[in-house]
Order: sequence, then structure tokens, then C-alpha cells
Amino acid sequence: MTKPMDGVQLAILNNRWESIARKMANTLLRTGRSGVLATARDFSCCIVTGDHKLLSAAESIPIHVLVGPDMMARSMAEFHPNLRKGDAYLHNSPYHGCSHAADLSVLIPVFDDDGRHRYTAVVKAHQADIGNSLPTTYMGSAKDVYNEGALIFPAVQVQRDYKDIDDIVRMCRMRIRVPEQWWGDYLAMMGAGRIAEREITALGREVGWEHLAEYEHRWFEYSEGRMVEAIRKLPKATVRRSSTHDPVPGTPEEGIRINATVAIDPDEGYLDVDLTDNIDALELGLNVSEACTRSAVLIGVFNSLDPDVPRNEGSFRRVRMKLREGAVVGIPRHPTSCSVATTNVADRITNPIQAAFAEVSATHGLAETGAILPASMAVISGTDPRRNTPFVNQVFLGHTGGAGSPTHDAWLTLLHAGNAGMCYMDSIEVIELAYPIRLYDRRVVADTEGAGQFNGAPSMVCEYGPAGCKMSVNAVSDGGINRPKGVRGGADGGASRQLRKRADGTLEELPVVISVEIDPDERIVSYTCGGGGYGDPKRRSPAQVAYDVREGLVSCERARSVYGVALTADGSIDEKETARLREAA
Amino acid sequence: MRFTTDTGGTFTDLIVEDDDGALHLFKSATTPDDPIRGVIDVLKVAADTMGMDLRTLLGKGELFIHGTTRAINAIITDSTARTALLTTKGNPDVLVFREGGRMEPFNFRVSYPAPYVPRALTFEVPERVLHDGTVAEELDLAALDAIIDRLEEERVEAIAVSLLWSIANPAHELKVRERLTERLPNVPVTLGHEVNPVIREYRRTTAAAIDASLKPLMADYMGNLEGRLREVGFGGRILVFTSQGGVLDAKDVARTPIHVINSGPAMAPVVGRYFADLDTGAANAIVADTGGTTYDVSLIRNREIPWAKETWIGQPFRGHMTGFPSVDVKSVGAGGGSIAWVDTGGMLHVGPRSAGAVPGPVAYGNGGTEPTVTDAALALGYLDPDNFLGGSMRLQVEAAAAAIERQVARPLGMSVDAAAAAILAVVTENMVKAIADITIAQGIDPASAVLIGGGGAAGLNSVLIARRLGCDQLIIPEVGPVLSASGGLVSDLSTHFREVLPTRTDAFDHDKVNELLSSLRARCEEFLEKNARGAIETHISFRLEGHYPSQVWDIDVPLPSGQVETAADVKALEEAFHQVHEELFAMADIGSPIEIIGWQAHVSAKLRDEALGRMATDSIGAPISGTRRCYFKETGRVDTPVYSFGNMAIDERIEGPAIVESPLTTVVVDPGAVARRGASGSVIVDVAPSRQNGGA
Repeated sequence: MTKPMDGVQLAILNNRWESIARKMANTLLRTGRSGVLATARDFSCCIVTGDHKLLSAAESIPIHVLVGPDMMARSMAEFHPNLRKGDAYLHNSPYHGCSHAADLSVLIPVFDDDGRHRYTAVVKAHQADIGNSLPTTYMGSAKDVYNEGALIFPAVQVQRDYKDIDDIVRMCRMRIRVPEQWWGDYLAMMGAGRIAEREITALGREVGWEHLAEYEHRWFEYSEGRMVEAIRKLPKATVRRSSTHDPVPGTPEEGIRINATVAIDPDEGYLDVDLTDNIDALELGLNVSEACTRSAVLIGVFNSLDPDVPRNEGSFRRVRMKLREGAVVGIPRHPTSCSVATTNVADRITNPIQAAFAEVSATHGLAETGAILPASMAVISGTDPRRNTPFVNQVFLGHTGGAGSPTHDAWLTLLHAGNAGMCYMDSIEVIELAYPIRLYDRRVVADTEGAGQFNGAPSMVCEYGPAGCKMSVNAVSDGGINRPKGVRGGADGGASRQLRKRADGTLEELPVVISVEIDPDERIVSYTCGGGGYGDPKRRSPAQVAYDVREGLVSCERARSVYGVALTADGSIDEKETARLREAA
Repeated sequence: MRFTTDTGGTFTDLIVEDDDGALHLFKSATTPDDPIRGVIDVLKVAADTMGMDLRTLLGKGELFIHGTTRAINAIITDSTARTALLTTKGNPDVLVFREGGRMEPFNFRVSYPAPYVPRALTFEVPERVLHDGTVAEELDLAALDAIIDRLEEERVEAIAVSLLWSIANPAHELKVRERLTERLPNVPVTLGHEVNPVIREYRRTTAAAIDASLKPLMADYMGNLEGRLREVGFGGRILVFTSQGGVLDAKDVARTPIHVINSGPAMAPVVGRYFADLDTGAANAIVADTGGTTYDVSLIRNREIPWAKETWIGQPFRGHMTGFPSVDVKSVGAGGGSIAWVDTGGMLHVGPRSAGAVPGPVAYGNGGTEPTVTDAALALGYLDPDNFLGGSMRLQVEAAAAAIERQVARPLGMSVDAAAAAILAVVTENMVKAIADITIAQGIDPASAVLIGGGGAAGLNSVLIARRLGCDQLIIPEVGPVLSASGGLVSDLSTHFREVLPTRTDAFDHDKVNELLSSLRARCEEFLEKNARGAIETHISFRLEGHYPSQVWDIDVPLPSGQVETAADVKALEEAFHQVHEELFAMADIGSPIEIIGWQAHVSAKLRDEALGRMATDSIGAPISGTRRCYFKETGRVDTPVYSFGNMAIDERIEGPAIVESPLTTVVVDPGAVARRGASGSVIVDVAPSRQNGGA
């Protein structure tokens, strides 16, 4: 290959790889059964090289895919030195590279015609159930992995010569609560993985395996170059920030504070992130696995930079992390439980990092993203009076949480840092038909946005209740005390809050760990976390403020007091008064 | 005589089918300030060329079939009517939250879309219906009247009404319209359950809002079109293309304008299916229409045109979903005007930025400085600089080559020829990726399909695309450059009706389902009675929308019959579902019951039975012969024979490398490919035997 052809071949092969990953993801999305897969898009598809480097990933939820697939592929190769064509492996061990036990993954090694292991196709999907001791895949109260109770598969062979190993399938069927649903998802995942195998094999035969290896090398080099270029645009600085998960029983009194130090070295083109100064792992399911810790760091980094920098092993080389074994975030030791590793505390890793970039550069970083899981995303269960059958399901009735950026207002429905807004929201009609539930109200709450030059998302309120039965409601709702922080003068976003509405209309506040059974005539009122604002609200465009007021998102009083924008009775901008208000600030 | 016109971004196309069935093709500039003037202009061009005065020409016409971008342009430029939305109390932000979802998870430099109807013009009506149709809260008429007072004050020009579960019980929506009509008789109203009876409230609401917002201007436009055509002497029937790949009477379109928003791209597969069958007998086809800015891809699966329910205006999640079922067309930013550039890391990109019609490619000499796909094709010798668009424009070869040299060849350290070939190779990959997306979504292996190329620039790289997809054959129809316009001549008068009625195959509600199917059939028959007297053939078919229990997304499955009487009928319906699921997703859960949510009836009427005619000699181009120096990756610069559609005999075979031209298109027959002329006039290329990846 001559040097000058690089830029062209790079473009073409990059397209080919992306296309393969997208085929995997499209197949999985459209065939998956469980709501958390098909609604929350809580899955990822990617390709890892034979030496276990992330090469190409379909547009997936970030916490799933940046780091983890590489570690899982490595453990597969270590445990099975004689990998063969036709093999497939199950993996969900957070001690060997998986995010958390609910993210059951299928790994398929792909070989060239000489039998050399060239790539691994990885399909990971959040299961509806994974056999925990309680019917939830987010078991915050789990003392350890035994109490959590999930089946753990550290790269366990599930297919040989393209045929299922029935022993393994039977184990899953005996332990996973919704075995038919699990089986449907398993088939969908295997289908997506085998599509990747077929496509990769065809590509290798067409262009030559060595040529592909050269491409990898060049692609990583290119990505690393783009990363260095992005880092060079940043000032040299070291920032220490923290973000705290609200306290729950079993945590320190202040909650779980995550300290992160970000050192930017534009001269050498490196970013160093130190997470060692954090508390030891807790006897709870809130600890963050190594894969999620590393992914959460990279989310904070990539949220802060030019979105055109490719995300793969090449650019990752420029982010060096210091982690501590046995810490609440870092490298958990077995049998520490990481049941909730993808959401709550992981977001408290991402937030201080993206905010750190904003602190040192007005053109980088993000404000803090809202925390989850609000009661509008609870796991609901009970008995459906229409059919007299039990039901259990996670609902996605509503989410906001987006953070202000250096150039734009928040993406309203971002959900949380780890998901990045990929999740769909339940249709009122679809959910009322499927479950004995009724949605009374969902709307944006005025004056709860994270005010800034570019606003963070407002909260939304969602009021729902059972239709003709009792209903259990379970969630762990962070962000009631520690709201998403604004940056560079931007204000904090709205707090989460959850209430039980009695039949007489009285309201009762619910704690962070929501676990209630409500009566047929009661309701849940859930407020989601907003997102932090970016920049001084007094620098927000007055026309934009006037629009927000007209749209009922911001009150006239708040426009004046927070944004320094005065409006006349007809809603137009009082230029003179606005100038006065803004000068005074 | 029939006329079919398609108003595009740059040109208004006209095909005249004369009384002998021959096709005459005309083009004239689109006039954005008054698009109907462009239509009359192109008719005048036709009259002049055919040696008649306009009135005589139009006097011979029985059908005038029109494709318009008026509706979609109004949406894109935010110039639709001032529209209000009435929703159920408690659901005011249905157009704000939409259905969630996002693309590009790391890109925070994109705005969250503003709701299609502003919150300030959204009003909550106290009322509530439940999923079984029971009324949980009566409609509060006093509150409604207060809302109508506000609508008056706000001087709204159109109103969408979309209440929760109106599909289960429309009483409240109907009552609201009654009050609105009494008090605001001149303001058009769209009801959610009428325009788009589907179960997801966002999709019903967005469809209602879009439809209402288009009513005032589309009623004007259709009235204006008819009036002006009558004025110049047309006495026949006026039909309009729809996004469902059919045609409807202009008056019906004015009443439900949402039908036409994506009508241009929706016609391509209708024509594609016609030629796939006629030229090769293929049941599966990929239809690709190359424009200046976009590349529109659609599919034919088993001779059927797949529909999508998630059509977006603009990018997914960033634009507005129409919520309204239409032909499944995927559009990506790749075309003749796509700009080639090299990033700071030394990687070549083509698009998504486009030079558009203005300034256009460098070769147009209108001020473009960035090299485009068209410039690359010109530099490679594929395009004839003196005979572009029938000679209406002279292309500047040197300027194009210089731009490629400056922006691509030098940064990449390669020759201009190699750089130009690379630009084509990269845009080919972008196009292949779009096709891969849509074929996987429909469960088709592209290798089982033929590729149909439409649009003036299709022939430049379609052999390369077909090779990459593993398709054996490529078809470029004579009418390829005006593929959408020609759709008017092969499409049927058609519409569809839908209802929501949830049931399960293991607890099947025969009575209700059959009652509903009968009423759907009655509506189809009424449509035929009203619009299709004297049709050559009519057709009514039924489909269900359903899923396996616990699945979230529905698929459409044709019903084996129009009634479901017996247990065996239910069984047949289950089997039909399993089969479609297997086709789409390569798996079926045999033995599982099916949850059915919705029911559809499709009705169509054939208005003609003769085959589409051949292009008249005035439109196909004079015979030419000679050679041009063209560059191919395999051969370098070689003398390449140039043929014309006009002098290529039926069944004549031409071995690549070669160029086949007509005034409006150029087909590049790459080395190793063999082209022949089909009986229909199409150029059919066997792209095998040589299959290689582009660029490597």
C-alpha cells in the first residue's frame, strides 16, 4: 500500500466497518423482545480486533461500549486459548470486563481462512431479568454478588460448531424469570453476532486480511492524531472536581462523593484522569465496574471535545487513567456488587470531568447532566385485573436531564450521561394498553431549567397511578439533594423529587430509594432532574429569553431576575430596561 | 394524451404521452415564487416543440398528473399556517417530548427541535377517554368555549385536534370539531383519529398538526393549479402524486394535504417496480434516485413496495416525524453536488455538504470553488462538457480539474485522475451504506435484487454500487432521469383506511374484527364508487399491524382474506405473521400467539392498462459515435467508445469500458461490465464478472 492512498482507503474501509456494526444494531433493535432493549435501546454492537482493541461501534449508548467489549474479548481469549470457528461465548462478568450482570453479552470470534482469530463481534444487551434475588436488574441494596444473585458468565462457551450448548441454555431458563423473553433476546443477539461474522469474513476475503490489519493500524493512528489535535486546542491545566450521589442507607452521610482530577497536557497531547482518591467499595449494588468506570471517564472526555474525533482504541490511547482496586469506582474486587454500575454513580464520574473541561475553556465541556432513576422510570409490578395475570416491567414514562453546552441549549430528553438520549419514551396509549396503569399528567415544569447562556433542561413532572389494582413501584432516584451543577456562571438544574398522592389529594414525600405499594386510588408524582446551565444567564440572547417566556418555559419574573431581560406587556423586549438590568449585574 | 409533471428544486419535468403512446420529455426551470408558472412554462415548451399551440395541446389531454414539493417546502421554510393544537388535559407537551431518542450521542452542537406547534398555541381540553373507549372524564364544554375564545384572539389559521384514545372513541374529537365549526367556520380543522388512526398518540398528533398547518396553502395551491390549467385549455382530470406511491384527485389532496409531503421520492419505487419486472422479471429491486444533493433509496420486496411509519422531515430525531405511513424511502446527503474534502487527519470525505443548484459544481462556472462528484465525473472524462443537459450548459473541465487538484489531489499526494476516481469511490461507499441500511431493515439480501438507477447522475457510479452490493444487474430506464415524473404514468389511484382494534390470536374477537373489516371494505367501495368509475381494474386488500407478546414494534402483515371467521382463519393469520417476521428478521416464534393492534384496508384502481410507451426520438438524443479519453482505475486513461441511447439497438451488447448517453443522462459502463438495450428501451448492465471493492 503506498502512503498517498491512505486517506482514500481509510475512508472506504471505515465506511465498510461502520456499515457492519450498523447492520448488527439494526437487526438487534428490530428483533429484541424486552422493553429495556427495544425501548431504552439499552444495547450495543461493536467489533474488537484480534488483539482486543475497539475498532468500530454502532451508534450505541455510550456507557455500554467505549470500554468493556475489549476487556471481555481479552478474557474470552485468555480463558479459551483454542478458540474455533463456530464458537460463541456468553459474558456478563463485571470482574472480567462487562458493565454489569444485567448486560448479558454474546461474543463471537471471527477467523480468517487459515484459522487465525482476527476479530471478535460483541453484542451486549440489557436483559429484562438476570436472575437476581429480587425482580430487578438494578439491585441497589445488594450487599455483594451473592446477595445480588445473578448468574455470572465470565466468557462461558454457549455455542460450538454453530450449535447451542444446551446445558448453558437450560441453566438460563431455570434462573431467569422471564425465560421466553430471555430466549427471544438471546436469539436476536446471536442473529446480530452471526451477521457480523458473515460480513467480516466477506470483507476479509475481498480486500485481504493483511490489508485490513494495515487499515486498523492506520485508522488508530488517524484517530489518535485527531485526538491529539483536539487536546492541543485546550489550555494546560489541572482541575479537581467532585460530584456526589445522594445518600441512601449504607452510604456515608454525605452520600457517595466522587473525586476526579483531570490534567490536560496540550504540549504532549495527553489527558490524565485520576480517580484514586475515592472511598472504598460499599456493601451495596452501587459500585461501578472497571468497564463502566473507564467508559464514564471517556464519556466525560468525548462530551467535551469536537464530536468529529473518532472513538476507538486510537483516540483512547491519549486518555490515561489512574484507578484504584477496591474503590467504589475503579477496579472492584469479587464479590463486590456492581448491579447498578451503568447509571447512578457512573454519572457522578462523567459529570465532574465534562464540567472540568468547561471550567478551563469557554468552548469546551458541558454542564452537569441530570441524575436518574426517577419514579417515572420505575419498575412497576402487580396483578393486571383485566387478565388476572402478574406483570413486572420497567417503564419509561418520562425523562429530561440534558446539560447546556458551549454553543447550544440542552438536548431535552437526554435521560442521563451514560445513555445520551438514545432511549425512547413510552407512548401513553401503548403503556395504558399493555399494563393496568393510567397516566394523568406529564409536562415540562416552568422555571426549573438550569439557567445559562445556554440552558440546561428543565424538570418534567409525571403523574401516574394504577388502573384498578394495587401497584408496587421501585426506583433509586438520585439528584434530589445534589442537583446537576451549572458551569461558567450557569445555574444548577431542577432537582428530582417523588411523592405519593393519596386519594384525598394530600402529598407524601418519598425517599431516594423508592419502594412502595400504592392503592388503586393513589398516584405517584415524579419530578425528573433537569440539567445544569452553561455560561452566565445574563449573556443569554434576549430574543431567546423572550421566546422561552412566550412558550411558558420561563416566567416573566424569572426572565428579569435571572436573565436580566425585561419584557413589555405584549412580550416584546424592553431594550432599555434590559440593558440597565444587565449592566447592574 | 396524458401529461405528468414533477416540480423539483431546480427543474420542472414534464412527460407528454402522445396518442400513440410515445413519451416526450421536457424540462424547464422551476419558479419558486410561483411554481405553477413553471408548470405552465414547461407545457409551453412542449407545445412549441411539438408544433402546436398550448390550447390545442392541452385540449387533447385527458389526465394531468402533478407532483409538487409545495407542502414540504412550506414545512422546511416554516411558512405553513398559524396552527393551534388542542390536546387532552395533562398531555400538553406531546409535540415537545415526542418519542424520545437521539442520534450522534457525542454531538452537543445540535439544537433540540422546537415543537411543530408552539406551546403557546397548544391548549389542554379537560376530558379523558380510556383504552377501551369508556369516558373517564366528560368533555368540559365551558372550558372548550373559553379555549375557542383564545383561538379567536390568537387569530389562528388552522386547528389540529388530537385527544388521547380518540381511536377507541372519537366522540370528544367530533364534538370539539362541531363547536369549532360553529364558532370558527372558516378555520380548517384536522382530527387525529381521522387523519391518522394509529395507537401512538404522538404520531397521530404530529400528523394532525402537519395536516392542519398545510390545509390553507394547499387548498389555495390546488385551486390555483386547477384554475390556471382550465384557463389555458385543459379540460381533463387533475391528479396529484402521494407519499403512498399513488395518485389522488387534487380536491382530495386539498382536504388531506399530509398525503403529498414526500410524494416526489415515493414515485421512484413505483416506476422501479415496473422496470424491474419488465426488463428482468426480478421480484426484488433497489431503486436509487440520484439528485444534486440527496440520494433517495427505496426497495421492492416480492414486487411489493414497503411502507414506513416513521418518516421524518429532516434528520431522524432532529426534524419532525410525520407519523403518517408512506413509501419507505431513505434519503442521504450524497449526490452530484456533494463536496469532496480532506480533513486534518488526511482522510477524504464526500458530503454531506453540497454545492446545491447554486453555485453548483465548479464546472458550472457559477462561482463554485469546492470540487463535487459532478466535477470528478467530468475530470474523468465521463461527462461530455459540450453536451450536458442536452447542451444547455457548457461544463468547464479545467476549472473542475484544478479544484480537485487543489482540494483533494495535492493534500493526498496523488494525481488528479486518481483523486477524481477516489471521490467517486467514496461517494459510492456512502450510497452503498444507505442501501445496506434499508435492505437490512426489510430483510433483503441486496445480492438477490436488481439495482434501478434514476436521476440524471445515476449512471456515473451505479455499476460500482451494484458491484459493491453484489447485484448482478443494473437497469437505467429511458425515463431514468425523470424517474419520479414518470411515476405518474404507471401509478394507480389509491388510498388506504386504518382502524385500531386490539385483540390477540389466542382470544380472538371475531365479531368486532369482522364488523371492522366490513366497515373498512365499505369505505374502500365508497372510494371506488366516487373516484374510480370506469377503472380498468380495482383491488382491495387488508393488512394487520401486530407483534409477538412483549415486543414493542409492530409489523404489517397482509391478511389472507377479508374476514376472519373460523379458528382455521385465525391459524392462517398467525402463519402469515410468522412468515413475514421470518422474512424481515430471519426468525419466527412459531407457536406464539400474536397481539394485533391495528387493521388496514388498501384500495387501488388502475386507470390504464397499456404498457408505458417508448421515448420519442426527440427526447432520446441523436445518434452519436466516437470516443472520449476516460479514466478507469483498472485501465488508466483509455480511448472509450461513446454510444447514444438513440443509436443503441435493442439487444445490442456493448462491452465496457464504454459510455452510453442520452441528453439527460450518462451511463458509465466500467471495464468488465456488459451493457445491452432492453426491449423497453432501458440500458441493462451485467456488472459481473469483475467484482472488486472500490478503491482498494
